[in-house]
Amino acid sequence: MIDKASFPVRPDSVRPADLLGPYDGVVVDADSDRPLAGALVAGSWAFERGIGFRAPAGAREVVVETGADGRYTIPALTDLPEGASARVRRFTLIVYHRGHVAWRSDRMFPGRERRRDFTQRGGRVRLERWQSQYAHAEHAVFIGGGPRVQKAAAWELQAAALELDGEHVAVRAHPEAAPAPAPATTTVPLDVSRLLTDDEIRGVTGYVGKFEDGKLTDLPTTEFYDSRHFKAVGKPESYDVGLRVWRLGPAAAEVQYGKLMKALPDARTTDEVGDGSFRAKSGGIAGLFYLVRERGVVVSMTCGGSQCTEPGQLTKLAKLVESRLPDLPEPAAAPPAGAGAPTDKAAPTEKPAAPAEEPKP
Amino acid sequence: LILRRAGLVASVVAAVAAAAVPAFGYDPATTHAGLTERAVLASTLHRVLVHRLSRPLGVFEPVPLRLSDLPEAEREALTARLGALDPGTGYAPGPDGSASALAWVVAGSVVAEVPAERAQHFFYDPSRGAGLTDPGGLVPIGQGLRQMIDSGDGGFRGLATGTSFNMTGLPSTAWLASDRNDVGLVTYYQELEAAVSGEDPGRRATALARALLALGGTLAVLEDAGDPAHVRNDFRGAYLGAGGTSPFDRGSPFEHFVAEKYGRMGVPTAAHPVSRPTVMAYITGADGEGLADRTQRRFFSDGSLPEDAVVDRATTPAEVMRDARASLPYGLPRLPHLALAALGRRSYAYAPGEDGKPAPTDGKGRRLFAYERVPGRVHFFLDDAVYADTARALLPEIGGYGAGLIDHLWRGELRLEVKDGTVEVALAGARGVVHGGQVRLYAEDAAGKRRAFAAVDPTTDGVSVAIPDGARRIAAVLRASDDAGELVAVAETPVR
Repeated sequence: MIDKASFPVRPDSVRPADLLGPYDGVVVDADSDRPLAGALVAGSWAFERGIGFRAPAGAREVVVETGADGRYTIPALTDLPEGASARVRRFTLIVYHRGHVAWRSDRMFPGRERRRDFTQRGGRVRLERWQSQYAHAEHAVFIGGGPRVQKAAAWELQAAALELDGEHVAVRAHPEAAPAPAPATTTVPLDVSRLLTDDEIRGVTGYVGKFEDGKLTDLPTTEFYDSRHFKAVGKPESYDVGLRVWRLGPAAAEVQYGKLMKALPDARTTDEVGDGSFRAKSGGIAGLFYLVRERGVVVSMTCGGSQCTEPGQLTKLAKLVESRLPDLPEPAAAPPAGAGAPTDKAAPTEKPAAPAEEPKP
Repeated sequence: LILRRAGLVASVVAAVAAAAVPAFGYDPATTHAGLTERAVLASTLHRVLVHRLSRPLGVFEPVPLRLSDLPEAEREALTARLGALDPGTGYAPGPDGSASALAWVVAGSVVAEVPAERAQHFFYDPSRGAGLTDPGGLVPIGQGLRQMIDSGDGGFRGLATGTSFNMTGLPSTAWLASDRNDVGLVTYYQELEAAVSGEDPGRRATALARALLALGGTLAVLEDAGDPAHVRNDFRGAYLGAGGTSPFDRGSPFEHFVAEKYGRMGVPTAAHPVSRPTVMAYITGADGEGLADRTQRRFFSDGSLPEDAVVDRATTPAEVMRDARASLPYGLPRLPHLALAALGRRSYAYAPGEDGKPAPTDGKGRRLFAYERVPGRVHFFLDDAVYADTARALLPEIGGYGAGLIDHLWRGELRLEVKDGTVEVALAGARGVVHGGQVRLYAEDAAGKRRAFAAVDPTTDGVSVAIPDGARRIAAVLRASDDAGELVAVAETPVR
């Protein structure tokens, strides 16, 4: 048996679709209306079985990526389930492209209202850009999908976990339920400029030259992350000092710390600062990484070999920063549902100071 | 044989047609999944996983289930049932056996009713304290024969040996506690304990996945206590009364309605978590506030509506009301006043207010059932408007009971404080007197291996124990009982 599809065959038709497919369409950015290449498109058929009571009885999933023209094609289902009561119950299409809200053929995000613009052929999947007021926890639950979709969306989980940890019931009320109080949406970027100064570096290392202060440019500042780059004027990189701070909450900070330890080359546990620390080295640049569990903070302190000529100097700098952590301004509304969620590009988990780039101070 | 089967099917069709009324039930893949998801998100489970079990991503934490750790029969059965899940839903584990904690709970609530016949044990009639029963006759014979044809020889063997579904089942309260239920309370307690006490990390992760699956299975039983057909012993009307032209195409129209209207993600947000004294009290209790108690007395199912009342010229409205009341299999809900004057017009009976106030007359209340006076009789039935009101009232409430049950099952909290080479362990959250168990402490080495190193009596004041050399992490588990029933409390903490 094959259930009747709840969507039409084409956008300009009222004829019900053939649930078995094939399915095709184009994925576009909702703002620019331009095709999106490389979007993950997962189609799945769900089977059921049973007389009276019905229960899941298998599924088929096909996952493809859109081409340069944004187009996708899901071939028709040919291997039907067997058994007198077996039925093809439904087809679900999920489209995921990082930086955009996931698109499902059955429901919309946010709000979870029923979607009514899905068609079997010639569909136009318009992906909305991710907005910072959206809740990752809600989105992570919304996406669904099989292993490939979930792997592509895994970067959101840390922010999602933070949201749930910050507020007991983080998922916003369904439109039919009583309206939930509007969460604060103001996001204040983290500012670590007060944690370390040029003079303090000079005091520790004995360096007499000038620094040009700025930010490390490989990750943008967000409410969860900030950095400082003390660039030695007129000197090579081996005189530079770098500081990165992630303020993620206790649980996610632990995760981030673990990820850094795994990702960085030759990480060596030292436990010399914070609740746990390790050192790593790349080229002529040494790094000291530590976790302050209670504050939910991870710090990366890096120093070029010409600036920090002794290991103890890096330790001093790190401890200096640790002593200033209580001075960090409290997060404005961190991290409740719907508030303070990092934007797509600003996700603190996206590039947790990958080995190739982290030692660069 | 085929011809004989075809003949039997014909008699089955006739038998089913005679039964004939549709009713309620929840679709495992969508409604149960959505209810479970909402319950988890409204509960404290995320925080418990983060703070007590050191799973930093909480309900989003990937938890691998190593099938090779399971006995062969269990492995095969679980593999088949998990393999039946649709990846599009997000709760099917990947080929590596891994899924998020949330996905395992949701998957548990779905596979609890896979294969479909397991649902026979999801009925509980609180007024009789019984599960699904059936008066017998042609209908159960027909159902058995259809199953036989549907599933081939295996089904025939099941029918011959009495293990097939014969339209009866255990009370859901008994099924919940049965050791035959691999996603019930027995598995939940056992595997949660092993999720901490297991020697190697893989075994512990597998145990946690199994515990979460069993938590989902437990929630599925509770959720069906919020299904009028399941608490009003109504299988015939609910599940066999409607469908397509094929005799194998049978299912509940309400189940279909709710699944289509809400899907998985559209299930409303759970109400505030409900607190009850014991696990079983979430389903039924002497105070009448179990979910099954509340559902049974407030909602009709199609198979437990008043029988159509015969009307002739001499019949008075009072007689219609008397006959209709006399035909009810349950005393509640009571029949409100019916407007019987107009012929051929669909009317609705409304439920009284929750605070005992009379049913609203402005059409804004919850519709209990529909009725229509047709020539010669008054016809009682349920339609989409009743289904919509019923779902709107019940789904958030079921979510609130589910969230409360999760919190109840995780109520015990072991607090570990590491200080100066010792760990202080204290118990919180237990109800009343704790008896029958000790807090077992485990030291984890750098390779993740755990070994027991101490056992202390549970106390709220805290007991200090010296930490063995080389320990990187301390874990603790208590399996005991308190005034609320069986208690498993767990905790982990790193050692600096």
